[in-house]
Amino acid sequence: MVFTRALRMGLGVAALCLSAISCGGGGGSGTSTIPPPPPGPTANTASVIVDQGPNSAGSVNTLFTSVTVCVPGSTTSCQTIDHIQVDTGSYGLRLLAPVLTLTLTAETLSSGGSLVECTQFVDGYSWGPVALADVQIAGETAKSVPVQVIGDPRFTAVPSQCSGTGGTQEDTVASFGANGILGIGPFQTDCGDCDTVAENLYYACAATCAPTTVPLVMQVPNPVTLFAADNNGTIIDLPAVAPGGAVTLSGSLIFGIDTQSDNQSGTQTVLTVDGMGELSMTFNGQTLANSFIDSGSNGIYFADSSISTCTTTGFTTFYCPASTLMLGLSIQGANGTMANNLTFNVGNAQTMLNDNPTFNVFPELAGTLPAGNAGSFDYGLAFFYGKRVAVAVDGDMTSVGTGPYIAF
Amino acid sequence: MPLFFRSGEIRIAALSGALLVAALGPRIACATLGEPESTVQNDVTQLRASIKSSEDRVGYRIHEIQLPGSTLLREFVAPNGTVFAVAWNGPTKPNLQQALGKYFDAYTAAPRPRFVDRRHMNIQQGDLIVQGSGHMRALSGRAYLASALPSGFNLGDLH
Repeated sequence: MVFTRALRMGLGVAALCLSAISCGGGGGSGTSTIPPPPPGPTANTASVIVDQGPNSAGSVNTLFTSVTVCVPGSTTSCQTIDHIQVDTGSYGLRLLAPVLTLTLTAETLSSGGSLVECTQFVDGYSWGPVALADVQIAGETAKSVPVQVIGDPRFTAVPSQCSGTGGTQEDTVASFGANGILGIGPFQTDCGDCDTVAENLYYACAATCAPTTVPLVMQVPNPVTLFAADNNGTIIDLPAVAPGGAVTLSGSLIFGIDTQSDNQSGTQTVLTVDGMGELSMTFNGQTLANSFIDSGSNGIYFADSSISTCTTTGFTTFYCPASTLMLGLSIQGANGTMANNLTFNVGNAQTMLNDNPTFNVFPELAGTLPAGNAGSFDYGLAFFYGKRVAVAVDGDMTSVGTGPYIAF
Repeated sequence: MPLFFRSGEIRIAALSGALLVAALGPRIACATLGEPESTVQNDVTQLRASIKSSEDRVGYRIHEIQLPGSTLLREFVAPNGTVFAVAWNGPTKPNLQQALGKYFDAYTAAPRPRFVDRRHMNIQQGDLIVQGSGHMRALSGRAYLASALPSGFNLGDLH
């Protein structure tokens, strides 16, 4: 695996050299031999948008892109799916079966069973097989990528060990809030040790389903890590938004870091994340060791009992201060690097939502976390507004460091 | 059985609990939250887990259960012998149907709040409170019975 990744890095560097030659080779040299044009750089930028979500779902602060999937090896059995959520807090491409028109074949374990996953979220779970697909986003392609097909009618019987984890079964577009999810967090796969430990994530399903270990190559990976080029990380580039919010916000998802002219590192702060993708944040004089920056969180979530919460049913976990608050925050990476003197605003959630019912972008939307629970500060998509945020993959090098890191 | 025993003694109690479970078979309630401490061992058996440690704190006791994967489940026992809370963290959630017992249905039936993002959970159904946060590869949460908290218990210690 390491060798494979190193080889891919090498190819990426080779591609970079070629494009550098093409950049510096302008102007006539006077020779009569015209060299063949070098291959152009891969189109590495996908459009992303914060909008209402699929079927006017009424999403807030949720970033979407489009992804093309093909039956492996086919250039005709392909489908482009919109409203795939862009999520730096998870790993892997997952598609909702109701919107998938292709038939993708589930991976088969050496035991003969089909590989099915019980993907677990804080508030529920999604059940469905792991199938192979060719994945294309912008000009980037990855062949035979394990992706999860959620809510697949071929695998409807959810084992009790999976459903017993509780919460909502998020197997429909409505319950999931997206047509799929593109997990591009800073690790290669969605499980740290499922090749040796049956973590109740992956199941072998024949007549019945049972938790199983899975070889690494069969697990659901961050698909960017399997791209032929630009595979060492991503950059999310979003414009700033007015404090009161906006209907939509459009930006870019750029693949690769320091692999092309448009994804060069600059003088940003590079914060290494720990083995869980987390950072230490200091807020209100408290050091919160299990904090994270996450494009998949729709608000800024933290515990502060001095701020009023909303009273309307369904909103009681969001903050509703009488007037907008500006609060301070500092972030420390696992490498010791600090991002100091950051500020963020907490608006009145009820007021902002009532006053602007058509808005889907709310940079000042903040919600509660249970006090003392895990010592966490969850800085959601609002962190990315007005920034260019790079997420480098574990073990991969860029000009400013080695992943896993987040830089901005 | 003494109300609070040291960790060396828990093994004996755990063993007798396992024998009890084996003897009663499926008739024994598969429950923990709101149930007597003896059901902790039932959880351990049902979850094919092991008790990693048991620790007396001022006013309550914690049994830390290592699930077959990497996830840890902690069960909090009040002086009256009732499991008043459970908490977990790890790459997966524990089987909450087992750990919440008769409260599981209320938890699962709770209406979803507005603007869910799969990263948060804060449910109150009568006396039952279930809360969680985290992201893929690091999920944490807790469930407790508000009326069963020992006097002076600090919710900040419930994790």
